[in-house]
Amino acid sequence: MLGAVAVQATLVHDVAIRGVVPSVVLVVVVWYAIRVDVLRAAVYGLAAGLCEDALSASTGAAWTISTLCAAIVAGLLSRGFFADSVPLAAGVTVIATLLRALLFWTCMSLEGYPPGLGALHAREALLAAAFNALLMIAVTVVARRFGTRAA
Amino acid sequence: MTALVALVQINAQRSKTESPFAAVATSLFAIAQTAITAATDGVQTGVSAIAALPGLERDNARLRAENAALIADNARLHELAAAYAAQAGIRISLDLYHGIGARVIGFPPENESRAVTIDRGSNAGVHRDDGVIAEQGIVGKVASVGPFTSTVVLITDYTSRIPAVVRRGRWWGIARGNLASVRLEYVSQDAPLKVGDVVVTGEGRSFHSGLPIGIVSGTQRGDATLYQTAVVTPAVNLGALDRVVVVSR
Repeated sequence: MLGAVAVQATLVHDVAIRGVVPSVVLVVVVWYAIRVDVLRAAVYGLAAGLCEDALSASTGAAWTISTLCAAIVAGLLSRGFFADSVPLAAGVTVIATLLRALLFWTCMSLEGYPPGLGALHAREALLAAAFNALLMIAVTVVARRFGTRAA
Repeated sequence: MTALVALVQINAQRSKTESPFAAVATSLFAIAQTAITAATDGVQTGVSAIAALPGLERDNARLRAENAALIADNARLHELAAAYAAQAGIRISLDLYHGIGARVIGFPPENESRAVTIDRGSNAGVHRDDGVIAEQGIVGKVASVGPFTSTVVLITDYTSRIPAVVRRGRWWGIARGNLASVRLEYVSQDAPLKVGDVVVTGEGRSFHSGLPIGIVSGTQRGDATLYQTAVVTPAVNLGALDRVVVVSR
């Protein structure tokens, strides 16, 4: 997770499309959350969000709260399903991305962020959800292939 | 525990200080960010050098000639300046800003704000609200300071507000970030702004006056409004920042 945060804060910026970057951190959090219980997922999401808040400018606790909630929802949604299911992983990633964006900008508006960019943030969230889903599909397929080879 | 962490973070943000979690995290991540940035820059530099080899010799000869001419001009101007100073009885200060050189090593993780992370913090003398400039003009303001790194909010960020002046006619306004550009707002309707006008900083908390912000690329007037707005293209290429200078007021 620390490696994912370091990569997210340095290299991922170079692959931005229309100002939107894929979230390696969220993909790692969702990957972990769909494999463990909700409490561990929450702690993992809390730690990831805290690291992102530390590296951001004036976000307060917005990433902490939003990533924590996204991890909890990811853990709850994956109950009863196999964790290596590609549609499940992609679907949960999309929902987690949208929920995290909603909570993040809600927190930011409560912390005094100027209004007026709601439509732009919504479009960015949809694009980010698509990126993250593709990234999660790629990671799941690769992990499944390596897991099959190892077996 | 979550509520405690969130409260600590929100309290730090409201009091405009660095939370202990953030101080520890930025200190640790500074090493990783510096290492990754150095590695990627090395690879990019190597590839660029190989691709540019054919034109390098030609550019080298041209630059040597320009350098020789500039050295001669510089010597002549220094002599003129010294002579003027001696005549006018003033002392010339060539170091207008005692700045702290820094390098951009990172970005906000989710690109939610237009900001960069630099490799200088409170240990190097950086303070919150210090201005940050590059060779072509202003870059932004320091928003948060850790022991070894600082976060700089760029002038294109939606939360950025800087007092600004149009150089040609000294018309005042506020330069507000608009994600990809800067908008010069609250300029009087009477001001005959034109495309190409240079916009510079006014005297403010973070910057001395006269530093380039950008160039007017469009104007917006309304018939029933008191003010007009100008779209300003930043003087600095904020997408290719590498080395900057932090200046304290």
